[in-house]
Amino acid sequence: MSLYHTAQNIEASALGQTIRESTWLFPAIESTHLLALALLGGAVLILSLSVLGIGLKTAPAELYKSAHRYMNGAVIVLLLTGILLGVSEPVKLYGRQAFWVKMISLCIALAVTYLAFNPLIKRGASGVLIRSVTALTMAAWLMVALAGRWIGFS
Amino acid sequence: MLEGLVTKLAETPWSIGLHESLYLYAITESTHVMSIMLFVGTIAMVDLRLLGISYTKVPVSQMLSRMLPWTIAGFVLLVITGGMLFLAIPVRTYHSLWFRLKCLMILIAAINIAVFTFKVERDKATWDLGRVPRNSKICAVVSLSAWACVIVFGRLIAYNWFDCDSINSPVMAKITGCPLDPG
Repeated sequence: MSLYHTAQNIEASALGQTIRESTWLFPAIESTHLLALALLGGAVLILSLSVLGIGLKTAPAELYKSAHRYMNGAVIVLLLTGILLGVSEPVKLYGRQAFWVKMISLCIALAVTYLAFNPLIKRGASGVLIRSVTALTMAAWLMVALAGRWIGFS
Repeated sequence: MLEGLVTKLAETPWSIGLHESLYLYAITESTHVMSIMLFVGTIAMVDLRLLGISYTKVPVSQMLSRMLPWTIAGFVLLVITGGMLFLAIPVRTYHSLWFRLKCLMILIAAINIAVFTFKVERDKATWDLGRVPRNSKICAVVSLSAWACVIVFGRLIAYNWFDCDSINSPVMAKITGCPLDPG
């Protein structure tokens, strides 16, 4: 079964139909997606700015104890609401370049955050490596958000 | 008076240019959304500290002074891009119920900031690392709720449920400033 065919099947699913046919469901999910985006931005920024020496003077490892909860919570809500948004119009998304750019940047952002950024911060790393990883993490998430917004325009 | 102003605004080449542009409008709106992460993101982190539930090892004074420049940077970006978005579609936005509610929420958030700045945080030296006072927690809750509403109402401006052509109750006509359809 081709990917396009899968998209058609998802679009025809009961969940997809329910979201598509409701007046307020899509906007409500979209708004929740945006609220979680703000929270993720805050959690990533408070750590990043501190790592780069342009934010809080408290050690990033100390900030991480609070920030990681909001980061994880935001990522979970973003993924869940994102999936719901996708399920409601997969055929449209299939044909949009911005969607694929977003999915690729999302994979990169998740990998960089959870395999490099978070572990390095937890370990109290300092130096060029963590600074570079931080820049990459911020850029990756910015790309995800930007490509996400662009889905609506393309 | 405002009605006349926004109608004039809509006729300016700036408004028409933005509205009809291929990329500028999209770039402006994307920048507006990105700036939410900077503005509301940093505010949320500060509010979580003011609630006394997170970042408790960070002195409140440091949290405020070191995060504020980033919050202001986000605010400047939001005001510029927000102004441009309004300029692109002035008349519809002016009448939008969601836009009006969004402005109301921004006003509430602004009053809350004033109360916090001029009353609540004045004695912060006494609770910099200690127990957060009740007033601070209230301000944090008001701030988090108001900014969340600003984001949600802002997103809903895009939907035409309550545009002037679908207003048929006197109350809604009053709220949105739309003419009531006699039909």
